[in-house]
Amino acid sequence: MKSIAIGVHLLRDDVEPVADAVPVGDLFMSGIAIADDQPLSDRDLLLRAASVRASLLERATFVAVRYGFAFRTSGEALEKCASRLPRWKELLEEHRARVEFTLKVAAPAAQRPDRRDFESGAAYLRALHDARDAASVPEAFRREVERLVIPLAVSHRWVNRDSTSIELAGLIDRDALPRLGEAGQALKQTVPGVPFLLSAPWPLEVFAGVSS
Amino acid sequence: MAEQEQLILVEALDHLLDRGVVIAGEAVISIGNVDLLYLGLNVVLANVDAIIRVTNKDR
Repeated sequence: MKSIAIGVHLLRDDVEPVADAVPVGDLFMSGIAIADDQPLSDRDLLLRAASVRASLLERATFVAVRYGFAFRTSGEALEKCASRLPRWKELLEEHRARVEFTLKVAAPAAQRPDRRDFESGAAYLRALHDARDAASVPEAFRREVERLVIPLAVSHRWVNRDSTSIELAGLIDRDALPRLGEAGQALKQTVPGVPFLLSAPWPLEVFAGVSS
Repeated sequence: MAEQEQLILVEALDHLLDRGVVIAGEAVISIGNVDLLYLGLNVVLANVDAIIRVTNKDR
């Protein structure tokens, strides 16, 4: 048997009985036990992992681990992330009452490169990277986001995700989530022509340092 | 499944596969119980853009 990691948590009670709590230093890694030969791409496993992730977030905020890391023992898990544990502990203590939200916005001016226009994979990847960085949010929409949404966030960051969209990631107090929903409704009214997706709550993902 | 439920599911899977801290892992690709390749991986499942971001961070 092995375990698929879901997140890193401050307390054992934040994890159990929703998932297995594996000690890693002063913290706990949540895991789902699976057979050694079960592929990580298994659809049911993915859905189960997403469901466990959501249930864990209902209990307490945690540092999300990107899907794909599997471990067999506590020692193996600790070895892979020991150097980052002090920082994660700080984050978990500081943001225990907070969650992340994301606002994905379509970037109409950006155009994804066509792979047939490139002679090498490396050149295509570079072009994808450049196209992603060229994507921008319509100015009127950005102004409204700054007026309606950003004041609710403790911290925020614009992230270029791909060539067709940009994302605002924010940290918000859990008790401010209803106001975030209202801000999303207001945004839909004031800038009706821009497609966006506002979603929350999420665990510490961007603010755990991975996308800085 | 209703459109709203599909949207929520897609968003949840996007966050699962494309967000969060990356911990180095390993995988064995095998066919018919014969191990063919042993790989050190940062990301097992991700879209191309996510791989580019991880690659650029390592530069």
